[in-house]
Amino acid sequence: MSGLLGRSKPIIFWTILMVYGIFTLYPFFWLIVSAFKTNEDFYSHPFGLPAQWNMANFSRAWETAKLDTAFANSLIVSIGSLVLTLFIGALASFILSRFQFRLKAAVFAFFVVGMLIPIHSTLVPLFILMKQISLLNTYWALILPYTAFALPTAIFVLSAYLMSFPREIEEASFIDGTGLWGLFFRIILPMSLPALSTVTILSFLHAWNDFSFALVFISKTSLKTLPLSIANFSDGYQTDYGLTLAAMVLSVLPTIILYLVFQEQVMKGMTAGAVKG
Amino acid sequence: MNAMSSRKFIMFGLAPALLIYGLFVFVPVVWSAYYGFFNWSGFGDKQYIGLANYTEIIHDSTFWRSLKNNIIFVLAAVFGQVPIALALAVILHKNTWMQRFLRSAIFLPMVMSTVVIGMVWQYIYHPQIGILNFLLDAVGLSAWKLNWLSDSGIAIYSLIPPLIWSFVGLYLIIFSSALQNIPGEIHDAAELDGAIGWRRLAYISLPMIWTTVQVAIVLCISGSLKSFDLVYIMTRGGPAHATELLATYMYNSTFTSYRYGYGSAISTMIVLISLVLIGTSQWLTSRKSRSQ
Repeated sequence: MSGLLGRSKPIIFWTILMVYGIFTLYPFFWLIVSAFKTNEDFYSHPFGLPAQWNMANFSRAWETAKLDTAFANSLIVSIGSLVLTLFIGALASFILSRFQFRLKAAVFAFFVVGMLIPIHSTLVPLFILMKQISLLNTYWALILPYTAFALPTAIFVLSAYLMSFPREIEEASFIDGTGLWGLFFRIILPMSLPALSTVTILSFLHAWNDFSFALVFISKTSLKTLPLSIANFSDGYQTDYGLTLAAMVLSVLPTIILYLVFQEQVMKGMTAGAVKG
Repeated sequence: MNAMSSRKFIMFGLAPALLIYGLFVFVPVVWSAYYGFFNWSGFGDKQYIGLANYTEIIHDSTFWRSLKNNIIFVLAAVFGQVPIALALAVILHKNTWMQRFLRSAIFLPMVMSTVVIGMVWQYIYHPQIGILNFLLDAVGLSAWKLNWLSDSGIAIYSLIPPLIWSFVGLYLIIFSSALQNIPGEIHDAAELDGAIGWRRLAYISLPMIWTTVQVAIVLCISGSLKSFDLVYIMTRGGPAHATELLATYMYNSTFTSYRYGYGSAISTMIVLISLVLIGTSQWLTSRKSRSQ
């Protein structure tokens, strides 16, 4: 590395890096600091720290934006689709990676193609489908599509991982008299924990942060997820800056805290499958 | 195990995945191609109009503008995000706390919802209260102040910094782990042969992670075609379609103008365009790697 940077120019590099670091972090800093400001403060000192650290914005935002409902809805749809994705995806990956059957390659390809389909191209037909089967404005209207769109990546990541297990695992468990389901639940699932945690991060973040499906499939206030509630809230309270920013801060706090705790895992998990050595 | 029970297990185990994925991903893609043949407001009867929607698309200047904007996004991603991320990955190669901190910070936007990211940047660009214009005032460049998001000539370019800002971390981490996978002996050998500094990067590191760069380019293309949220939040595709993307145009045609058939036809075009772009990029980058 010292060769790469040269010995004469590290200062220039570090300056560029610091500028980039500031460019990256400033929007977060500004968001959090401004959330404490009153409107007058926000107008007159856009860069500075708040004249008074105004905590009331947060409690008011929590109440006004009905963030408790939004949090509950986001949790329900994210965990619902996560559980479905993990179970269904792991089962399919177990079969696709450990069994031989006709059409296996075709089924695998069918799933992997899904990673290339732009999500939004399905919005219109999915809306029509949901309307016809009366799923609009239900939790299922989000849980099912989130699961469906998480499955290709889940199957891709999990099969690759399961492929590396030695053959003897099946043999040993059959000699012990374990059935296929027993093998799946008691041996395959526990052994796939690292890959499962990758899939967990990917599907959870995707469901938790999704905006477009929620925008189209949910119009009932009581079912709105966090991103949707925040977007609507800002439309309604456009000029109450401190309040809107406080609602935004509250809505991103959980994922930021989880990220700070599980950084390495999150960064590795999000990029799984992209690095092929 | 007996063959009968394992066949049942295979069918039973694959059924839920095939069903959910088929019904909510695959069928809609096929259906949107079918709905594209109809004139339909979403209510009442559908009227079969053959290829009329598709021929209208060909002559629709807004569609072409959306495609052009999408291509601007693809180019900004491929020639902006990829080189920046690559450079950062090379510079932030070590594991000092400073480098780890910067890597984590640059990745942070990846875990946030695009809604909040879009809203923060909306504030940054705001003509009256936005910090960008305040900053220009403060450094005496008041003449450079602009209506960043409502000036149709520059709005699409104003969307590029938030785009790069929010995704560069992903590529940084992808490239960092690819670089870490290069065995140390190769670097040692290269150093003995005099390949250090930028030469080592050009002749050793870059060719060795070229597959990863290819994957990143595919991700950039499909990712840019998927960018709906950011633009929807920041400009709704306006002013006057200046920042319209294929996805926002599809959304606006369907849910604002109530032209379900036309929106479906645009959806089909999005799938086709993304397959063509990804295919082309694969072809171009694999040719390049062969010639190296």
